[in-house]
Amino acid sequence: MRGFWNKVFNLEVVCCPCLLKADIISTVEFNHSGELLATGDKGGRVVIFQQEQENKIQSHSRGEYNVYSTFQSHEPEFDYLKSLEIEEKINKIRWLPQKNAAQFLLSTNDKTIKLWKISERDKRPEGYNLKEEDGRYRDPTTVTTLRVPVFRPMDLMVEASPRRIFANAHTYHINSISINSDYETYLSADDLRINLWHLEITDRSFNIVDIKPANMEELTEVITAAEFHPNSCNTFVYSSSKGTIRLCDMRASALCDRHSKLFEEPEDPSNRSFFSEIISSISDVKFSHSGRYMMTRDYLSVKIWDLNMENRPVETYQVHEYLRSKLCSLYENDCIFDKFECCWNGSDSVVMTGSYNNFFRMFDRNTKRDITLEASRENNKPRTVLKPRKVCASGKRKKDEISVDSLDFNKKILHTAWHPKENIIAVATTNNLYIFQDKVN
Amino acid sequence: MLGKGEKRKFDEHEDGLEGKIVSPSDGPSKVSYTLQRQTIFNISLMKLYNHRPLTEPSLQKTVLINNMLRRIQEELKQEGSLRPVLAAAASPPPDSLSASYREAPAVLSAPAPPPPALASDLGSTTPLEACLTPASLLEDDNDAPFCTSPAAPPAAPARLPAPAPPPEKDSFSSALDEIEELCPTSTSPGAAAAAPDTSRGGSGAPSVPRPDDPKLMDSLPGNFEITTSTGFLTDLTLDDILFADIDTSMYDFDPCTSAAGTASKMAPVSADDLLKTLAPYSSQPVAPSQPFKMDLTELDHIMEVLVGS
Repeated sequence: MRGFWNKVFNLEVVCCPCLLKADIISTVEFNHSGELLATGDKGGRVVIFQQEQENKIQSHSRGEYNVYSTFQSHEPEFDYLKSLEIEEKINKIRWLPQKNAAQFLLSTNDKTIKLWKISERDKRPEGYNLKEEDGRYRDPTTVTTLRVPVFRPMDLMVEASPRRIFANAHTYHINSISINSDYETYLSADDLRINLWHLEITDRSFNIVDIKPANMEELTEVITAAEFHPNSCNTFVYSSSKGTIRLCDMRASALCDRHSKLFEEPEDPSNRSFFSEIISSISDVKFSHSGRYMMTRDYLSVKIWDLNMENRPVETYQVHEYLRSKLCSLYENDCIFDKFECCWNGSDSVVMTGSYNNFFRMFDRNTKRDITLEASRENNKPRTVLKPRKVCASGKRKKDEISVDSLDFNKKILHTAWHPKENIIAVATTNNLYIFQDKVN
Repeated sequence: MLGKGEKRKFDEHEDGLEGKIVSPSDGPSKVSYTLQRQTIFNISLMKLYNHRPLTEPSLQKTVLINNMLRRIQEELKQEGSLRPVLAAAASPPPDSLSASYREAPAVLSAPAPPPPALASDLGSTTPLEACLTPASLLEDDNDAPFCTSPAAPPAAPARLPAPAPPPEKDSFSSALDEIEELCPTSTSPGAAAAAPDTSRGGSGAPSVPRPDDPKLMDSLPGNFEITTSTGFLTDLTLDDILFADIDTSMYDFDPCTSAAGTASKMAPVSADDLLKTLAPYSSQPVAPSQPFKMDLTELDHIMEVLVGS
């Protein structure tokens, strides 16, 4: 890892300092080039940031991210049958690779997935024959000459329009969407089922995994995350609340209830507790860019698995082991159910995940070094170098260390994203977005 | 709790309770293991039944809490098969058990949905099927999330009146009804009337003292051992487990002053909070230190009325 992380700027999704429910960030995702960064929030809005291009010439910075487009993706709905609200919170955003001038992304709440087209308009036609500039029709008798309308530049306008709405396919809450490497299909996963869609077809989806038992009283395990392999369009994985990951091959059968591979690490008997099952529940699974490895995040650790080895992970990194002795309290205040995400850097050499107290952690797989950093407003002006943090688990607390008991469990970093090519990261606290980049000079 | 970011003194004994499982066979730590297990059991139940969100609760969370409850119940069941008496050590806090002895109107007015399932599931080892009721929450077609499972044992109504109690019952006949339900073998109202007599008159000795002696009542220890030794209740298998030789160490345990409390510094706070938060289910505010004294007062009243009539 090349030294410390330099904070370039601090983006705020909301301007007012109070915590508005609608503005809690619920997902963060870079597009394939890294030029665009999308965030979804609890109010159903999507905000897209774009990297400035001009500053690329200057050597000391890679360009700031500014707001590019904001739109309301999902609205709250009401399920009349169950008398329950359907939250508009955006659970996941996934970008499609760019095929033409427009950008496309999938956004999903608990029940409905939408395909959005984001397009730019920076020219407009002027000089119509039959219409005035304001749109009113001219009296045809006044038209005496003809002219060819010309395109003149206008202020950039970014428009988002919903192109497809994929609805009514999920009884349970959608937790994942993943676009296939064929760029034609994608999967959506809820607690008990995974469906396969074609991007062009909204009235039909195929169920490829179904773990709902005949008798719901026998239900002991749910699906927590799913992802397509980055290169093999027939392969996907899904993780469960019991700490297992199943790799499935869609060529084997139409319904992939039988896995091709089952990844599970046997439990360490010395660490057994009442909460062993809960903390083994996997909150996120991500393939490496190479497709050779996958990473899983459970409550206390990050594990790297080699797809060729099912019986244990090849690497395990402890995120906040000092919480192991606090599990009862964390169960009581529900923090034990927090779903942390994880991400790879572009070269698959560093992985990152969030923690409490607005801390986030990075693990360098090659040097085996790790670092804890904090995303906070107090000491974060542009160009500030972030100081590493340390949590003191027990014993004498050194200067600058923070004791476990003074951690703020309401300040959690669940969502992080890494630029696909450069060392730029996006870190979401509850309602602020921070973007950091590696110090160049 | 931890969320407030308050500084606390470092306590070496903290780790003894949290996190690592303490083998039940360890002598001195068995109490803390049982205590922790009971705490977690109660917390789990509260999570399932105390939560009334506008949106659907997370299925994953429900399943995980459910699994936790099942695991604890399995353990209790296994322990129960070895030592039936101690299985009751995992019995619920006094509030819900004493509910049947409270003035009935207070009980009748308890909110219907959470308590039936809660009361029937708390702690008792026998009605395991009732404890599986939470799984029916998972059924997306189930629009009565708090309905008790059909396998709910007859003892369940003992905790609270029948699901739809007639509101115009007066308090004493309701109390009698509850007591009657405790004892399905007794059919005559006379026997039921006699039941409170003997149950309240019990003083730890098989013989029934004079029922019109309130002073005796006051001198009795303020817990359910009143009822355990009476002949009236010994016929009942269910209530044998429920009331027999209850390990009240958890409730005699004063979190603030106990010298033994250091072994479980975290738990006393939560156990204490639990008792307070479970009070609403009995629909009467209960200070954790004096639930039993109130029972005695009410028993007094009931006694006097019965004797008077």
